[in-house]
Amino acid sequence: MNVITATFNKTIKEFLREKSVLFWTIVWPIIWVLIGCFVFVSGAKKEVIPYIRGSITISMITFALTLAGMANLPGNISRDRERGLLTKLKSMPVSPWKDFVGRILGLVAFSCLASILVMLAGIACGARFSGTINSVFQSIVFLLIILFASAGIGLIVGTIIKHVHGAVMTDVGISVVTASISGLFAPYSSLPPVLQKFSQLYPISSANSAIIYLLLGKSYAGYNPLSMNQVTTTIILSFLLFVVGLILYSKFCWRKE
Amino acid sequence: MLAINIENLYKRYRKQTVLKGVNLKIKEKEFYALMGPNGAGKSTLIGIIASVILPTKGKVEIYGKEPHLMKKIIGYVPQENFSSPTLTGRENLMYFARLMGYSKDKAKELVNEILERIGLSKDADKRVSKYSGGMRKRLEVVTAFFPNIKILILDEPTTGLDPSARGEFLGLIQEMKGEDKTILLVTHIGADAEIASKVGLMNEGKIVDEGSPEELKRKSGLKHVLSVETPIKSEKVRAVLSKFGENGLLETDRGYRIYCENAENVSPEIVRALDNIGCKIMRIEIEKPTLEDVFFKLTKKKMEDEMDECDNSNLQ
Repeated sequence: MNVITATFNKTIKEFLREKSVLFWTIVWPIIWVLIGCFVFVSGAKKEVIPYIRGSITISMITFALTLAGMANLPGNISRDRERGLLTKLKSMPVSPWKDFVGRILGLVAFSCLASILVMLAGIACGARFSGTINSVFQSIVFLLIILFASAGIGLIVGTIIKHVHGAVMTDVGISVVTASISGLFAPYSSLPPVLQKFSQLYPISSANSAIIYLLLGKSYAGYNPLSMNQVTTTIILSFLLFVVGLILYSKFCWRKE
Repeated sequence: MLAINIENLYKRYRKQTVLKGVNLKIKEKEFYALMGPNGAGKSTLIGIIASVILPTKGKVEIYGKEPHLMKKIIGYVPQENFSSPTLTGRENLMYFARLMGYSKDKAKELVNEILERIGLSKDADKRVSKYSGGMRKRLEVVTAFFPNIKILILDEPTTGLDPSARGEFLGLIQEMKGEDKTILLVTHIGADAEIASKVGLMNEGKIVDEGSPEELKRKSGLKHVLSVETPIKSEKVRAVLSKFGENGLLETDRGYRIYCENAENVSPEIVRALDNIGCKIMRIEIEKPTLEDVFFKLTKKKMEDEMDECDNSNLQ
């Protein structure tokens, strides 16, 4: 337990004290919530505006989690590797999986904070939701799916690209491009058919649509993402990405030369 | 009792063999300095001892067991600044204490003791990014100060430190000499190795000689070294000086070190010879040989990064 707690404490403190991490994971999505809630609702009917704002807020929470998993986690690992901390850890009685659990828990805690702040910003801008308590809990599960899928992609890139800036920039690039083409920044209905297919397959956008469906209804999600097939695919792909990331991390970052 | 026992150790990276049959025995509580130029295989050797690198062939034992079974008693301090700059000194030490398995309360108690001891109590709650290079290095070295650590392995700890930070740091290491810890210090700086009780000279993947600093100097046969500082360093100057260094000539940052049998008699001749080619001497002094000189005598290689040795035989 000591290793997990120590790593958790270290990770969360590093996230909270790193200005670039705070900006990109919390401030940047909040800026988009502010812009989206006031700019992208012009022309909409008055009674649907709060729900469009709700949809924008959910997408930006997803974006914050994507950045946390894809950029912050591999950034943190690459930084530790670059400054020799992983070499030091390899010489200590520390198992890679305990170190990993500590890091993931730190990421989850930080992501919770980021999600709450983005949510509060959305609510302050007039975002409203219409889900039940049950759908809120289901949404939390989908948020975790988003986080684990992002962390998986982040770990894969972080393991392959050893340089901190290279890893972070690659992951930011992946998160922004995939968010753009999978409908995180635009309504599902406005995507061309091929990207709609991608949006259903890509676990992050699929889980995002599921949350919108659960908290706002089908008309805001654009389709029903809670079909058995799609939910199963989303869970399996997220799990696979995470496991592959974990295996690569423990195999290569902790490998003895 | 042997703390570290290495027999016939080989390490090969693809086509390059870095360690070529290293034999090393370090007694319990001994302070052993491993000296050699960059690329000699020092870091690979201690990486294997610290179970960070896997050997290709050979025996490595820590108190008779394989290194990976003895991680709890090994305190390895890599060359890089591995502490987290965003955490405070205290938080960094707490992190390492908890990784070593101490409970939260015990870790707090130990960290306070250690900070007091190394004089960092006042700055303990400052972020490490605000520390000087010397303070940061001290903090990192004391991650190996926890009571259960019996073998301390330091990889080039003074690299990049200014002279005062280096002095402070060496003072700290000397303090530890009296404790019940075995210390293995890796360095390419002779003055750092002087404080060790035993020094091993490493070159091209092998330990070429070992003994106490005094013993090594005696064995080298070097009684004196002539240190000559000139405003310029050129082929012409080197050619003149090489005639006087029957045991070799080493080019340093400031000038030259001449290894000759009869330093006192040779000095005036050197002044005259350099004067004849129009080269003024800034300083000429007869000095006691250092461990770098011993290493040069033994291998004809310079201890520093660049291997631009100035072998007497090449010049004549």
